[in-house]
Amino acid sequence: MVGITEMTNWGVDLIDVRKTYGRSIEALRGVNIQVGRGEIFGLLGPNGAGKTTLVKIMMTVVKPTHALGTILGRPLGHRGKLRTTGYLPEDHCFPPYLTGFQLLDYYAALAKVPRARRKENAKRLLDRMWLTQWANVRIDKYSKGMLQRLGIAQALMNDPELVILDEPTDGLDPVGRRDVRELLLELRNRGTTIFLNSHLLSELEMVCDRVAILVNGLVARQGTLSELTEHTLDYRITLQSDATAIKNKLEAMGALVDGCAVKLTGDDTDKLNAVIDLVRGEGILVQAVEPHHFTLEDILVEAMGDQRIPPARPVAGFEQRQG
Amino acid sequence: MQYWALLVDSFRESRDRKIFWLMLVISIMVAGAMLCVGFEPGKVTFLFGMWEHETSYFTDVTGLKTDLIAGIVVDGIMDTVLGWIGVTLAIIATAGLFPSWMERGAIDVVVSKPIARWELFLGRYLGGLAFVLFQATVFVLLTFLVAGVRWGTWLPGYLLAIPLVVLLFSYLYCVSVSVAVVFRSTVAAILLTLVVWISFTGVQTLDDLVTFKYTEWQEQRSVYRSVHLARWIVPKTQDMTHIAKKWSGAAPVDEFLPEPAEEDRANYELAARIEAARMALNPVYTIGSSLLFEVVLLILAMWRFSRMDF
Ligand SMILES: Nc1ncnc2c1ncn2[C@@H]1O[C@H](COP(=O)(O)OP(=O)(O)OP(=O)(O)O)[C@@H](O)[C@H]1O
Ligand SMILES: [Mg+2]
Repeated sequence: MVGITEMTNWGVDLIDVRKTYGRSIEALRGVNIQVGRGEIFGLLGPNGAGKTTLVKIMMTVVKPTHALGTILGRPLGHRGKLRTTGYLPEDHCFPPYLTGFQLLDYYAALAKVPRARRKENAKRLLDRMWLTQWANVRIDKYSKGMLQRLGIAQALMNDPELVILDEPTDGLDPVGRRDVRELLLELRNRGTTIFLNSHLLSELEMVCDRVAILVNGLVARQGTLSELTEHTLDYRITLQSDATAIKNKLEAMGALVDGCAVKLTGDDTDKLNAVIDLVRGEGILVQAVEPHHFTLEDILVEAMGDQRIPPARPVAGFEQRQG
Repeated sequence: MQYWALLVDSFRESRDRKIFWLMLVISIMVAGAMLCVGFEPGKVTFLFGMWEHETSYFTDVTGLKTDLIAGIVVDGIMDTVLGWIGVTLAIIATAGLFPSWMERGAIDVVVSKPIARWELFLGRYLGGLAFVLFQATVFVLLTFLVAGVRWGTWLPGYLLAIPLVVLLFSYLYCVSVSVAVVFRSTVAAILLTLVVWISFTGVQTLDDLVTFKYTEWQEQRSVYRSVHLARWIVPKTQDMTHIAKKWSGAAPVDEFLPEPAEEDRANYELAARIEAARMALNPVYTIGSSLLFEVVLLILAMWRFSRMDF
């Protein structure tokens, strides 16, 4: 049984979310994702992995086939919590007959933001997104980047506790992107929880506290950036002289030998030392041992290459519940 | 607040279409044309006396018959311009309201708001009706004023044509939005709504014919019953004018028509009998059974909308 305090600890706590479109398109196959309050969380994955579907389920745009868990401590689709959640959909097309100001006001009214606060927030956010001069211009005259900035402003109109952004930097130039990153950090400093979908790896690396990698509708990896990237991919050992003579022995230990270079796959310090002992025993000098770290890109590529995707890595606080 | 926002948004969207302005222009032109017609003792004048037509109906302007003017305004002008042309234009103008709203990327933000899907649906639906309410009010008020000021006949009952036209439109709009929810297509909504409208009219006419003209069909009980049942079920689109006429105090048409030629007498009498039967219908039955159809269809469409993935 999940205790109420535990429930409210997470900003987003999704358990076994599944979605099958129609009869056969399995977009999500049992996703577990936990996002701490006040953190920036990045959901990463190749095209068609199901990122947008997951976000749409969180925002009640799509009905899940099966879903448990909470958002801001309440069940999915809770009205009060939707009221304090901001959402920027992917590839949005806003009503062209509205002006920027009218659009912000309309969407905020649907979120039950009182009139005075709507006016105040619209003014502030238009200013923050560099759109003040465009406030009273119909949005069919906006450029793509301006629409995206307006979309972000729209997601913040209700002073949200949780902001869910699907590809927020889509269509933005480098300056715009940096500006969005700064905005995200500002929001986090105010305690807002941010859930981000992106396939721009560098972007996530720069701002996210934690990420999950979604592949084929399953979470392949999940954790803090350092948890995921500290984890070494392999060791590269450079020898002073050729090791072909002991190639067979080294290969028996799982190392790859190419002249003076030895590569040891996997994060196993004992094995590394055993290899070094062997080499030293043969009288060969070790010139360098380099651990080669994962980058987010390596992790993604590796996760995508995994044919049988392993179950999601349990995160702190999650094991007890399963136990 | 949420409903108001939805209404305002639908209205803004329909105002963005050219048809909105076209309908306003038509209303103004009709009122303008009415201004050009005058009734004087023994004659009708056009364009302020440029052309006259002698008639036996207006022997005395002071005794100008209110029911005749009401008949002209309601049956002649309102029914044709607003009841047919206006409603057709309104169907075209509002058919896009749901499909454009439900487009991917546009609906996402809306359905993610803290409001039930059925409420969103209803708000949008009422928004479509608000557009027609606006247009009908403009038309009826303008023609009401011209009839009062220029023709000296004030027809307070005629103002009830405003809600009646909105009601008539709503019978068809519920079809339009149901089609839109299923097919998400404006063109399909327009075409199917027009087809359904014609078939509603067909059912009502067929039932009249079976009742009054081809009475021998009544011997086929099952045919007769199903036609009758069908008429009971479908919205009574044709009866709107009759209710409007009744409420505005219009006289039966035959009082003013010239004596028919001998060979037309049978048709003429048949038309008069059908007209009389329709005028005698109880508005509560007519409107109530039509609304029942509308409500059932709307509930189905709402249910479907509530379960959709966008
Ligand atoms: N409305 C829908 N009907 C049927 N299938 C859908 C629908 N929406 C998404 N899918 C399918 O679900 C899968 C996941 O799609 P989704 O849009 O969630 O991916 P994504 O991770 O957001 O991809 P991208 O990076 O391209 O945005 C895809 O196979 C897609 O074809
Ligand atoms: Mg996507």
